[in-house]
Amino acid sequence: MADIEINSLVKQFGAFKAVEDVNITVNDGEFVFLLGPSGCGKTTTLRMIAGLEMPSSGRIAIGGRNVTFLRPRYRNVGMVFQDYGLYRHLTVFGNIAYPLEVRRLGRVEIASKVEAVALTMQITEVLQRKPDQLSAGQLQRVAIARMLVRDADVFLMDEPMSHLDAQLRGQMRAELRHIQKSVGVTTIFVTHDQLEAMTMADRIIVMKDGEMLQFATPREIFERPTTEFVATFVGEPQMNVLDARLIRLEGRIVAMTEYFAIPLDADWAERNGLASLIDTAVRVGVRPEHISIRETPDADHRIVAELYSFEPTGAENLYVLQCGSVMVTTRTSTTETAHLSKDEGSSLAARFDPNWIYLFDPETGRTIAQAAGSDVSREEI
Amino acid sequence: MKKPTYSIESPAAPLVQRNWWVYVVLTLVCLVNFVPYLWVVMTGFMDGASASSATPAWFFTPSLEAFHYLIVEKGIMKNFFNSVIVSLASTFFSVTIGMFCAYALARYDFTGRDDVSFWVLTNRMMPPVAVLIPIFVTFQTAGLLDTLVGLVILYTAMQLPFVVWMLTGYFRDIPRRYEESAMVDGDTWFAAFRKVTLPLMMPSITATSIFVMILSWNEFAFATFLTSTQAKTMPPAIMAYSIGADIRWNVLGAAVVLITAPLILFVLLLQRQLISGLSQGTVRK
Repeated sequence: MADIEINSLVKQFGAFKAVEDVNITVNDGEFVFLLGPSGCGKTTTLRMIAGLEMPSSGRIAIGGRNVTFLRPRYRNVGMVFQDYGLYRHLTVFGNIAYPLEVRRLGRVEIASKVEAVALTMQITEVLQRKPDQLSAGQLQRVAIARMLVRDADVFLMDEPMSHLDAQLRGQMRAELRHIQKSVGVTTIFVTHDQLEAMTMADRIIVMKDGEMLQFATPREIFERPTTEFVATFVGEPQMNVLDARLIRLEGRIVAMTEYFAIPLDADWAERNGLASLIDTAVRVGVRPEHISIRETPDADHRIVAELYSFEPTGAENLYVLQCGSVMVTTRTSTTETAHLSKDEGSSLAARFDPNWIYLFDPETGRTIAQAAGSDVSREEI
Repeated sequence: MKKPTYSIESPAAPLVQRNWWVYVVLTLVCLVNFVPYLWVVMTGFMDGASASSATPAWFFTPSLEAFHYLIVEKGIMKNFFNSVIVSLASTFFSVTIGMFCAYALARYDFTGRDDVSFWVLTNRMMPPVAVLIPIFVTFQTAGLLDTLVGLVILYTAMQLPFVVWMLTGYFRDIPRRYEESAMVDGDTWFAAFRKVTLPLMMPSITATSIFVMILSWNEFAFATFLTSTQAKTMPPAIMAYSIGADIRWNVLGAAVVLITAPLILFVLLLQRQLISGLSQGTVRK
């Protein structure tokens, strides 16, 4: 068990910078996720922590010990690979026992440790089988068991759930989170699935093009994204982001898109100094759940749009609205919108909750103003 | 609704596959391959007169005349053991060295890697006869003419490109994850290679070894030129003993039995390994 400290880590492959200036401090026992699209450098970062890849520059310390250029065997980390990395020629028992045999533990001790971990992972009945006789879920469990069996300082997981079907993934999420918290070993988990990261993480590092965009709790990532990329990458369906221009209308600052105006909260506009941005282009972000819809326009629901498609997901209905060339996705509970028309082409009125509007800089993608509803003081850590 | 009592049949797809022609083709191929060999073996058990008679006979009284001539009079077993030593040793060395070359080519990205593998390939393109004279002169200078050591060195060098090419492909098929996970688990690189990669490679290595051994066992041109009495292997020995002023067919037949018997036994014993090794990377997954 140990904390991890990474300072200005860089990895270059020729002229290509795979990882650029990554700084991370992971506390002891924390469950941290590296989240990003494929090719963003998250796996490379993990491999550098494991010692399978040597950094071009920077420093990695595990438990205060500088391990930057140490070989993997001197780091005492446990790792689960994307394709599990189980040995075909050994039985499940042999696979789990492998790290212990490397450490020259006694036969009895190995057997008892393997039995114990097999019990935790519920794979006792397949211990004598070979990996090619197991299902994807069992392979996953064996791979995790092999990581758990040693007393590693740090656990590293490289997209371990990408081969599981959706149902199994849901189960494993809860189980992994439970195991990680009961074992209490610092864990870094790489994934491109924002749902995995949001549901399991203590803290999330969002990466893109080798750079670290944000390192925060899931809630902060969701409510206070630092860039438009983070805002749209996290959340399903993703945040609506519209091109707009800030103008003054009837004394109030509004965001004017090509087809409709989005009223903004006056206090919030003042706090964020939006008056100085009048007549500049911005990107307006609003999550689907913060748009409410009605059958006919009223004082609040002024944006009239056409229903482009209707997607019921069970508990919630997704209405995709079209206004001119602008598409907006909304998400509402089924009971609230049961009475609304579901026919494509019918007319609906929408309202953007002024408490949950984000403004992004169209050039840099940085967040100009966080939503008024996202208050840091409500953050529980 | 009433359950249908008929079964649905599609006229285009008959229930039983009638691919009898496959067996016809297979039988033909087997005949074409096997009959000449059968004939040679039969000749080996004939006496000199019936072997060289103008009318071939399917039925004859077997005799061990030719075997007696080869083994007792000419002492062909010495050549036999020369062949065994040379092919075993050259197989061992070429596979061991080639394995590491192939591993490096498959796993590491270094400057000139493609050039090295292309160069290895082109070595196989050159006809061996082209370098016969330079090698003869080299062997003469180095005092390696008519020695087993010389042949072992030469065959090892000759087989290396083949081994490297075969094994590079097989190594590429084994994900690097296996070694990496062993290294993270606390192994050194070499321990990971020995305990994880090699066991997975065993079928491929066995198949390659068998090929290399057969090639060394049958090598004729260099053995003829580079050996005379002490280190002569089976192929040139057979030539020398059976073909003089005229061809002694029964001696040739007996010699063919002696040279092919070990190979046939060997392949029969390792058939499963051979097939699983050859099909690795295509069938697996």
